[in-house]
Amino acid sequence: MSGKNLQRLLPLLTLTALFIALWIASPTFLTQRNLSAVIRQTAVINVMALGMTLIIITGGIDLSVGAILAMGGLFGTMAMERGDPIWIGVTIGVLTGAACGLLNGLLITRLKIAPFIVTLGTLGIFRGVTLIVSNGLPVHRLPAGFSVLGDGKLLGVPFVLWVLVACAVVVHVILEHTKLGRYTFAIGSNEEAARYAGVPVAFHTTAVYAIGGLLTGLAGMIEASRLMSGQPTAGQGYELQAIAAVVIGGGSLRGGEGSVPGTLIGAFIMGLLSNGADLLGISPYLQQAIIGAVIIVAVFVDEVRKRRMQSA
Amino acid sequence: MSLLELRGIEKQFGGVTALRRGSLEVAAGEVHLLMGENGAGKSTLMKIVAGLIEPDGGEFLWRGQPQRFRRPADAAAVGIAMVHQESLLAPHLTVAENMFLGREDCAPMGWMKRRRMRERAARIIEEHRFPIQADARVERLSPAGRQLVEICRALVQGSSLLIFDEPTSSLSEAETKEVFRLVTSLRERGMGVIYITHRLEELRSVGDRVTVLRDGETVHSGALAKLTIAQLIRHMVGREVSSLYSRSPGTPGEEVLRVEELSNPPLLNDISFSIRAGEIVGLAGLVGAGRTELCRALFGIDPVRAGRVTVAGRELHGGSPRDAVRAGLVLIPEDRQHSGLARGLSIAQNVALANLPAVSRGGLVSKTSEMALAEKYKKKLAIRMDSPRQLAGRLSGGNQQKVVIAKWLARGARVFLFDEPTRGIDVGAKQEVFQIMDELAKGGAGVLMVSSELPELLQVPDRILVMRQGRLVGELPGKTTQEEIMRLAAFEKEPAA
Repeated sequence: MSGKNLQRLLPLLTLTALFIALWIASPTFLTQRNLSAVIRQTAVINVMALGMTLIIITGGIDLSVGAILAMGGLFGTMAMERGDPIWIGVTIGVLTGAACGLLNGLLITRLKIAPFIVTLGTLGIFRGVTLIVSNGLPVHRLPAGFSVLGDGKLLGVPFVLWVLVACAVVVHVILEHTKLGRYTFAIGSNEEAARYAGVPVAFHTTAVYAIGGLLTGLAGMIEASRLMSGQPTAGQGYELQAIAAVVIGGGSLRGGEGSVPGTLIGAFIMGLLSNGADLLGISPYLQQAIIGAVIIVAVFVDEVRKRRMQSA
Repeated sequence: MSLLELRGIEKQFGGVTALRRGSLEVAAGEVHLLMGENGAGKSTLMKIVAGLIEPDGGEFLWRGQPQRFRRPADAAAVGIAMVHQESLLAPHLTVAENMFLGREDCAPMGWMKRRRMRERAARIIEEHRFPIQADARVERLSPAGRQLVEICRALVQGSSLLIFDEPTSSLSEAETKEVFRLVTSLRERGMGVIYITHRLEELRSVGDRVTVLRDGETVHSGALAKLTIAQLIRHMVGREVSSLYSRSPGTPGEEVLRVEELSNPPLLNDISFSIRAGEIVGLAGLVGAGRTELCRALFGIDPVRAGRVTVAGRELHGGSPRDAVRAGLVLIPEDRQHSGLARGLSIAQNVALANLPAVSRGGLVSKTSEMALAEKYKKKLAIRMDSPRQLAGRLSGGNQQKVVIAKWLARGARVFLFDEPTRGIDVGAKQEVFQIMDELAKGGAGVLMVSSELPELLQVPDRILVMRQGRLVGELPGKTTQEEIMRLAAFEKEPAA
């Protein structure tokens, strides 16, 4: 295998190496119980990061996903507390997220303001609205069946794994096989070229933010199910973890690059790092520093690969 | 019947007239050259044809029917495609993906028929024997390869009119031949081709007819074979010369700038010249000839691969504007709003920017000396402002120019490079800029003035250097003619003595 291909596979190799290292270092790592926990812990970030992948490929960013997650989770659980069936509650949570993403997309494309600024603003707005509506208090009285989403099992594996796989397949198919996906890459690669080629840039950019919001709403319901409560303060700082997952997986903040498998690998690398640190008794303070360093190294390696490719 | 017929097309950009009577007629199966000086309106006219901008007035007929394009897709829909000078492709997508961008072959729900598109792309590439792969990512292609992709785009869309905007300016000799071969084969297939170019010599064999624009107006249109180069140049230049300025050059003093065999291929090749104290030297050339690149290399923004630059006896190390400024060579760049002026700072702060040690005490900037410095140059250069505290970005173009000059004057520079100093400023302000250059020269500085305005070049500089394709191709006395400059700047042949 050539050096170039080796570098492209580096995230996957890192994940495998990490997996094997933890297997050797900790007797409890390769137990069904621990692996299930890892999947459950990473599922929320993973689902969010899938949407973030699309957004980052367009050359955009969404800083408001943590707040969207809280709002989706809160509105969904409030519906259930009111007595709505679980599926309606989940649908409300998901649609709340989609509506938030749609608003982000419209603000970005209509007002022509940078995504960083728009979503920095809506981060505050969504969080504020969530706190006002909930009065700062969590929603607790939820139907027992709701815990299946976050903590249940189906065919011997965590239920969320099925949800994650379904989402990943759908987003991957969108990216690789549909016009929407092609335009997502084209907009991030050269927006001017896309516009001149007749791509409805504003429409597709808006759609991408709406899909990102929808997936974040779903992540909010998973989080609520895991906690069995709707927390108005949930999801703080998650946006950075989602962005980190995309970037570790080869996404470029300059747009035009990113993939679903890459993002999943990125999210699992972060998940294994924090799980391994827990198992080995490494302080959570140090964990943060390690993950921070991994982000920088991952992006640096990817940059080196691209620079070499260009000079080749 | 004509494929395309334009009559009396008008276009204004914020009060500036780009086109006043643009006319053009292109038939199927002909290669039509579009020529004219810098700023004559060629690109504007072509952008209107390709639907990138809308005209303010005039008739636009496509196959005899009136048309009005609101966006590029409208032009593409009737069969007009453009090969852009700066390639408009998505570098992260493959050749095939770019060829079909915006017109993907799709089943319902936006499901793309990827294999079918790839096969069609590969077939078109094969048919023309283009040296590119359908699956290659565009970012890995050379400029010529990218232009081929744009051409493939036009072919796959079944275009019947293809516009080339100076395609050969970034291409090598061999790649240029390839483009010509292609243009000929497109004509044989009955397509109309419009080709914007400055390099007529090369195109003699390819072109059928030529249309010449001057000052936004079509001044000539006819068969290429009948036209001599002298006639063509007369059509292209002949711009009105209003008496702008006349200066009485003094006796040049010692050499302040010496450039020896400066090279930064392919942009700059083997350039040597010198400027003496008290001289204003013009630098002429068409867009892309390398004038701005020369200024940037001298000032140290771009690297210099080979050659020596000496300023007032001191050799520059290259690659460092700081070094250039210390030696006394400064650049007043073309886009002063971006690289010459800090728009968000006050006039006083701008003037002081390159002279902070002079206005500082103990490492702190003294507002009083800063103001005093600005006041001094306000008088000297007659900068029209209410107060030195005013934001520099609020000034008119000419006054912004003066603030940039004041900054370097305060620094005591010996060599001033002016890149298009009069672009976008009114006639009165131009006069003042010329006067400042004159005063700089009289005060013992050497001035290099890059300009695309031939009348200006004839009136201000003592002598004129001409660049073409990255080379210095000649030197003319100040009292030359527009025809002579254009001949050197645009054509391969040496001027008649």
